[in-house]
Amino acid sequence: MLIGSIESFMQAGINSSDVLVSILFLVLYAVLVSILMSVYAYLFGWIERKVIAKAQYRHGPNVVGKYGLLQNLADLVKLIAKEVRYPSNADSRAMALSMIGLVSIVVFVILLLPLTPGLAATNFGLGLLLVFVVLGFSPLLLFITGFASGNKFGELGAQRSVLMVIGYDIPLIIVVGTIALAAGGFSITGVIGAQQSLPFALLMPIGFIVFFIVMLAEMERPPFDLREADSELIAGWLTDVSGPYYALALMLDYTRMFMGSLLISILFLSGWAGPLLPPLVWLLIKAFIVSLFIIIIRATVVRLRIDKVLRLGWIYLLPLSIANLLVTFIILKG
Amino acid sequence: MLTRINIGPIHPSTHGVLRLVVDLDGDTIANVEPHIGFLHRGVEKLVETRMYMQSPPYMEKLDYIAPMSVDELYVSTVEKALGIEVKERAQYQRMILLELQRIASHLFFIGALTNDMGMMFTGFMWGFRDRELILRLLEEATGQRMFYVNMRLGGMVNDFHGDFEQHVLKTMDYMEKRIPEYEKFLEKNPIFKQRTKGVGVLKRDDAIALGVSGPVLRASGVPYDVRRDNPYYFYKELNFREMSLNGGDSFSRYRLRVMEMRESMRIIRESFRKMPEGDSTGQMVKLRMPPVKNKVVTVAREVPRGEELMYMVAGDQKPYRLSIRSPVFINLHALNHIAKGHRLADLYPILGSLDVVMADVDR
Repeated sequence: MLIGSIESFMQAGINSSDVLVSILFLVLYAVLVSILMSVYAYLFGWIERKVIAKAQYRHGPNVVGKYGLLQNLADLVKLIAKEVRYPSNADSRAMALSMIGLVSIVVFVILLLPLTPGLAATNFGLGLLLVFVVLGFSPLLLFITGFASGNKFGELGAQRSVLMVIGYDIPLIIVVGTIALAAGGFSITGVIGAQQSLPFALLMPIGFIVFFIVMLAEMERPPFDLREADSELIAGWLTDVSGPYYALALMLDYTRMFMGSLLISILFLSGWAGPLLPPLVWLLIKAFIVSLFIIIIRATVVRLRIDKVLRLGWIYLLPLSIANLLVTFIILKG
Repeated sequence: MLTRINIGPIHPSTHGVLRLVVDLDGDTIANVEPHIGFLHRGVEKLVETRMYMQSPPYMEKLDYIAPMSVDELYVSTVEKALGIEVKERAQYQRMILLELQRIASHLFFIGALTNDMGMMFTGFMWGFRDRELILRLLEEATGQRMFYVNMRLGGMVNDFHGDFEQHVLKTMDYMEKRIPEYEKFLEKNPIFKQRTKGVGVLKRDDAIALGVSGPVLRASGVPYDVRRDNPYYFYKELNFREMSLNGGDSFSRYRLRVMEMRESMRIIRESFRKMPEGDSTGQMVKLRMPPVKNKVVTVAREVPRGEELMYMVAGDQKPYRLSIRSPVFINLHALNHIAKGHRLADLYPILGSLDVVMADVDR
């Protein structure tokens, strides 16, 4: 009830004819979503440590706060209190701006996603397309950060970033096109509506797998963490990112996971649909399970090599995504 | 155009303080140059200033992943120089402890290898978990977890206690179940196979020419093992299989170590069966030894990383000169040879598959 009234109040504010009021409510919405995102990111920073610790027969953080819940806060405070240092040959402005840009992209993408049926920042008809257009900038910013740092490891990470995009972007766009085909449009609300009877994960399982793999790469999760590659490139594109910006990068890890899990649950697991519980809770539960799965993958795989990523992209994912498109087309029209 | 990057001496996966200067052609390795010496302590010189039995603690710090093997080698060298016979029971006990040490070392290797490939410490922690059980056994036998100093001239510091055999056999039964788990965990992982099979191939002839030894050599198809070809203690009376694989790649080097762990467990079981009753304690540590003048001895042992060799010119009360042939130092030479032409990401698994311990390289 309460959630419903807040929803309708916010939506009315966003849709208000007065531009100023509309902008005010949009900003308020953005702040609320950012808070949700930060809480989720913080929580998963802790969950990941605990889950991976379990997989490794360790205890994980258990000293700072109850069950080590404040460990990440302590880390964050430490990093924020640190001095920002740039190497002498780095372009400090480009590095700082692209780090902020990377986080902004994630926030923007989450803002574009409708989190409940009654409330969305925009009901823009091409929302799905816009999400992936915006997301396409993130490897570019990653490249800028790595390249501007003037560090050879950063540069190598940046190069890998670009190479990976070549590997996975085309299958991604084909799968997104298939989703639009099945939903009959690029509206994200429409995509969720089209999954009322059958989630897309069941309609196009191949597409789901391709999308999941690509999102892993997009989120820089293992086994696709080649740009960061801590045992190879020290920290890849993040090698010379320091202090608060590194804290931002750590946050980015989990905000991106939130974004990816949300995208997967919205596009393939029928989003907020579910009995009894409010829609937002269902969406978060689905995202939570997806995130948990991503974390478990991290605990058990070794990293892929860059040429194998390209191979995977071109030899497996691309044909699979095309096959997925054809099969879905036949199912829908036949 | 080649890019030159400098990896280490401070880097997550150089196994200690190793500096690699890598020339990259794009992402392909054109040349790797290991720079060593960051951990040089001058042990060989230090030994010359110490009485014979004052040196074992220094020796253990050479190969800190398998400390007892180097300790035992040094004590054996001294025994040979001074002409001291080792008690039969002590010989068996040394074999048992050394094989335990070998298992612990290989578990460490598996963990470090997965870490080099970018697994988030899971393999590492798994390896450490089981290594810990072995270390606990060694602690039971010697009183220390890592640096034991439990060899005396002619025997051990103390005999095994009554339950030790049972504890070891119990742990071996447990390990028997754990090793298939590693195999399942790694060998069924397509990415692990992709990243190790056919990567860093060291051909048979090259392996011989480069002088590598130990698992690295045996993985290239040469079944040379000091325990078998130049047996010491009672190794010649045990029937352990000759081991070699023909792949010569990182995967074979990993696989061979898993096989060796199994073999070590068999050796341990058999040694316990054959171990005679009696006493195994060695001589009390004496500062004054019977005088020896310029007697030259060489002793070779199969330590977990290969053939370690000590050459000693025995002096009066102190070694006149001690020279150590470290297997790791020589195995590391093969790095440039086998890493050339591979991608940068493969350099770390290749280095990891050589199982380097920098303390033993730099001495």
